[in-house]
Amino acid sequence: MNVHEVQLTGSSAKSPKRSERLSLFWCVGLALLACLATLSLTLGRLGIPVSSVVGILLDNLVALEPSWSEAEERVVELIRVPRILLATIAGAGLAVAGASLQGIFRNPLVSSDIIGVSAGAAFGGALAILLFDNSLITVGMAFAFGLVAIAIVSLAARSGGRTPVLMIVLAGVVTGAFFMALVSLITYIADPEDQLPAIVYWLLGSFASADYQKVLTVAVPTILGAGVIYLMRYRINILSLGDEDAAALGLNVEQARWIVLVAVALITASTVAVAGVIGWVGLVVPHVARMIVGPDHRVLIPASALIGAGYLLLIDDLARSVSAVEIPLGVLTALIGAPLFVWLLRRTQAAGWGGA
Amino acid sequence: MDRSDQQKPIPRSKAWLLRVAIVLGLLVIGLAIFTRHRQPPASAEPSARNVTIQDQAGRTVTMPAPPRRIVAIPMPAASMLIAVDGDSRRLVGMHAQAKEAMNEGLLAQIFPSVSRIATDVVGSGFMPNVEELLETRPDLVFQWGERGDDIVAPLVKLGLPVAVLRYGSEADVEAWLAIMGQATGNEGRVKQMLRWRRSAQTEVADAVRQTPGRRPRTLYFLRYLSGLQVAGSNTYNDFYIGMAGGGNAAAAISGYKTVNAEQVLAWDPEVILLNNFETELDPEDVYNHPLLSTTTAARERRIYKIPLGGYRWDPPSQESPLMWQWLAMVLHPGQVSFPLRARVAEAYRLLYNYEPSSAEIDDILRTSVNRRAANYGVFSR
Repeated sequence: MNVHEVQLTGSSAKSPKRSERLSLFWCVGLALLACLATLSLTLGRLGIPVSSVVGILLDNLVALEPSWSEAEERVVELIRVPRILLATIAGAGLAVAGASLQGIFRNPLVSSDIIGVSAGAAFGGALAILLFDNSLITVGMAFAFGLVAIAIVSLAARSGGRTPVLMIVLAGVVTGAFFMALVSLITYIADPEDQLPAIVYWLLGSFASADYQKVLTVAVPTILGAGVIYLMRYRINILSLGDEDAAALGLNVEQARWIVLVAVALITASTVAVAGVIGWVGLVVPHVARMIVGPDHRVLIPASALIGAGYLLLIDDLARSVSAVEIPLGVLTALIGAPLFVWLLRRTQAAGWGGA
Repeated sequence: MDRSDQQKPIPRSKAWLLRVAIVLGLLVIGLAIFTRHRQPPASAEPSARNVTIQDQAGRTVTMPAPPRRIVAIPMPAASMLIAVDGDSRRLVGMHAQAKEAMNEGLLAQIFPSVSRIATDVVGSGFMPNVEELLETRPDLVFQWGERGDDIVAPLVKLGLPVAVLRYGSEADVEAWLAIMGQATGNEGRVKQMLRWRRSAQTEVADAVRQTPGRRPRTLYFLRYLSGLQVAGSNTYNDFYIGMAGGGNAAAAISGYKTVNAEQVLAWDPEVILLNNFETELDPEDVYNHPLLSTTTAARERRIYKIPLGGYRWDPPSQESPLMWQWLAMVLHPGQVSFPLRARVAEAYRLLYNYEPSSAEIDDILRTSVNRRAANYGVFSR
């Protein structure tokens, strides 16, 4: 805890060198993300020349003589653009959710899976596939049950008007396990030839069915949730000092914590709703960000958003273009995330979270 | 135990005796159960009416008499057994999806009693529900042989005669028929069915060989509505696409895999075949797809829902020869032509001893859902 205080006070008295380093990070980071997004437009199983991609995009602003086929235009505009948007927004959202949770729980192993929201949303979506077979209802139910999960956690964790951190984590783990059991029950009931493949595919996570409606579905709650978390950045800093210190500093600990939790639930549920459960992003990315910009949430939260966006975009590019068969996202994020996480933990043992 | 007993504590020596008695009692019961189950199943005793078959795992299955009650867990095996027998009376249990195909197709009309056959004998992943299965008192159970021992072992443990079938090639399908024929004493009928399969194969291959030009790129969707799942090489679909003179657009991948729409555009299939597992699936779904509607197949209106007769025609079945002829005509319009409607009627007389009406043949060939497809008029009367 001492380490935090030292670093927090250190960063609040901004040294010119530090702010210079930060602005360099923002410039390079944003430029890299823009490059990656452009590059992603030219990646895919259908070989489309870069000039055609540029032409297809410019065609929307000024009328051009098309030198490309209708199929190519549709691939770029109806598959690649929404997919890139979806990956960046979901990546940013998951990373912000993870960073804020790790802050308020003062625990480097926390991500949105741990408070049961992902499992709740997964159950809602699976139930919708089982019962309705309508993508709009799937999204709506995933969303609704993500919020139900956080409501259950809040009820279960409250004791005597207070909700200690440990109780929230325990209630979250239990709620998550409960909803995962319900998901297993659904995969057991589901028609093995018809619905089961759909449910399993959806649970593994994929942006393959991306369209503009899904972009909107994930963008609105994510921007809302991330906005709330960004507004709470000072309070997350204080919460990361621990409940007693935060209360001593005059913060309404309960209220602040629940505002952040609901915002996280909003982000997570919307991501699960459109792309299934995508693990590891919310866990790994905040660590990378913390290594680069330090533990001050005023900077850490936007930095996590930027890195998360780039990370998930890169992973989705691999998923959709490496082989003829689409690789499930959850598989890639775990295969890349787990070794990366181990490496990060070993590197940052002496710094960042080392003292916590 | 009366009230005075409860109030008075049992003397220490008595309590000790009681415990020993309970342990001994449990031991005796346990031993009795154990030895009972160690006894070999009675069915192994030799008898003059013994029926012996060899399944596709190479195991010998012996039954004391020709089986009268058979459970078929692999989906195509249920309707195939009905065809081998020319009757549904031996079938007492099957997969829910097999029954769905019978209800959707013609089999439930030809043999109305199939609607009463149990389907709860098998759960997800072809795992048998042993208690439900025992309820049907089967003399023989067919199970898949290449999906691991977990789905076979519970049946063997119960001492039920189990014959496993292997999914894959046409040679495997011929072996299924041979096994079913032996088990039910229908070797003669099976010989006829096998002769039909081989002659149809030769006939289709000969007709295709005489067509000039390229083999149209053909893509089969095992799933369309929930993820685009296609059949690559090493599938039965790949086998018949090749035999009927098409080139499998997805030959580069192996087995059934999910791909994205962009990959389908990269393959640009000239003919698209839609599965029968997704009941709701209609060629209009592809014609209205923002991306797949730009494929050559969609532009030339060569998207076909595969027919469904006594069973789905896309997986292997007793009616496969009809599928091969249908597909050769679809892939080579105007060049390959069989009197398919007459062939269907002929096959149904052989397989089910049934004379299909003209409207029923329309239903089998799905002339209504395929009415907007190119050249589909040749299949109408």
